[in-house]
Amino acid sequence: MREDEEKMTHKVLKVKNNDVVESTNDFLRQLLSTEKIQALLVPQNTPSKKVAFPVLISDSKKLHADIIAPVLPTSTATIVSKITKVAPPSKPVAVVMRPCQIRALIELAKLNQANLSNIVIIGVDCFGTFPFNTYTEFPEKQKPTQFLLETWTKKSDDAEKYLRSACRICKDPIPTNADIILGFYGADVQKEIFVEAYSEVGKNILKDLPLEEEKEGKIREKAVKEIREEKAKKRAAFLKEKEDIKGIDKISEFFDKCVNCHNCRQACPICYCKECLFDSSVFDAEAYKFLRRAEIKGLFKMPNDALLFQLGRMNHMILSCVECGLCEQACPNNIPLMDVFIPTAESAQKEFDYHPGKDAKQKIPMIVYREDEFLEVGEK
Amino acid sequence: MFGVGNMSEEQKDHKKENFEPKIVGFLCNWCSYAGADLAGTSRIQYPPNIRIIRVMCSGSVDSMYILRALLEGADGVFIGGCHPGDCHYIDGNYKARRRMVLLENILGTLGLEKERVWLRWISASEGQKFADTMKEMTEAVRKLGPNPIAKHWNL
Repeated sequence: MREDEEKMTHKVLKVKNNDVVESTNDFLRQLLSTEKIQALLVPQNTPSKKVAFPVLISDSKKLHADIIAPVLPTSTATIVSKITKVAPPSKPVAVVMRPCQIRALIELAKLNQANLSNIVIIGVDCFGTFPFNTYTEFPEKQKPTQFLLETWTKKSDDAEKYLRSACRICKDPIPTNADIILGFYGADVQKEIFVEAYSEVGKNILKDLPLEEEKEGKIREKAVKEIREEKAKKRAAFLKEKEDIKGIDKISEFFDKCVNCHNCRQACPICYCKECLFDSSVFDAEAYKFLRRAEIKGLFKMPNDALLFQLGRMNHMILSCVECGLCEQACPNNIPLMDVFIPTAESAQKEFDYHPGKDAKQKIPMIVYREDEFLEVGEK
Repeated sequence: MFGVGNMSEEQKDHKKENFEPKIVGFLCNWCSYAGADLAGTSRIQYPPNIRIIRVMCSGSVDSMYILRALLEGADGVFIGGCHPGDCHYIDGNYKARRRMVLLENILGTLGLEKERVWLRWISASEGQKFADTMKEMTEAVRKLGPNPIAKHWNL
């Protein structure tokens, strides 16, 4: 795990034949064949080439990954949780992850839902992802990855319109808490990309790989600062724009299309409960209770308790919300969930000065307390 | 709901002048519930607007219970716990307080006054304080008026 902000190794990976994806694959293959790593979890296109899913690869010859593929079909953090929860691997496994998913994984580890021993996190600078269906039915002639790389090299905004709304206003597209970072921001990707180690484990792994020394260290720092500022600006504008989605009239209208299917919860990396309260028998009741509820208001919408589900789920996960937007992607009725979840996450997390996924040592607010805090709540 | 049975037309219309707030109370077994009991056995008069639910600890009151009550039209929710430092489970009330802070944010999104949800510390010996708090809260919620959610049926 990355212990501090100090970079331990900074190197560059030379891009061959102007093919970034293949060059990163060469790097990953070499990494896998060093035998310091037992297996790799990395996004790779399915045989149909329609979509890139995380795959667990142990044979370097079978590796044809696409670490840039702008799609997040499912929470990678949840997958790492699945692999490590019962018992972590006995030898290191490297997981290639986007920044939001690393944040989610850190939260899951805090919630005792993932065990990070022998997990080497390789963070990838994120250009953002397209909605699942946009990716699979991409209209341009090129593949989404090529398209994204090209627009990015040209510094054009063409890809922006395809991005998921969560990605457009991403909290931080640069990985934190990674052992190794594959950095695109600041690099001339036709020639090279940055490879940095942020932990002893990462440093040790990079030691034997054919990488070159980084010549000008400042370029990356500057680019990282710039992209963070740009995203922060977009996020602030978004928060301002969504400010007025508040109040019972607006909120009930906002969730009007909710069919209470719980897909958002299923997709959320933070919602890990094996048995969710909302699936339990707590909400089963005798007919007379339903009828009495109808009697009180004269009528009520079925399936019932959709807003209670949304607010209840929000209450349970919002402090750890990493703003990956998978809930929104999962919604069958296209409710723009981020419009409500991000502003609430922002205010709730600020209350506890909590930054999910940022500091692995910062405890989850609901399990700790101080005797002398929030004295205005309750009474003095 | 809340043991009220059929409501009169007047209540349905939510006429403010005759408005009697419905308050759902979650009282901790060890302190506040015993405090309410003491108010009763001491025959201290207090408004009958609260419907008390006994829970083992204020820390066990998941915000879900509070949200449920409010979405169903309760005008106020009261949570009573032991005084800080006195929790039977050591720190349940401190955790309840943190939960309140989180809930207030969600109430903000929902656009509901946070003054509808009260968290107070009442010990087993504070029958009078319980009665006084009930008077105070009933009047405060009466002033806020009926819960605006009550008329929404599409939740």
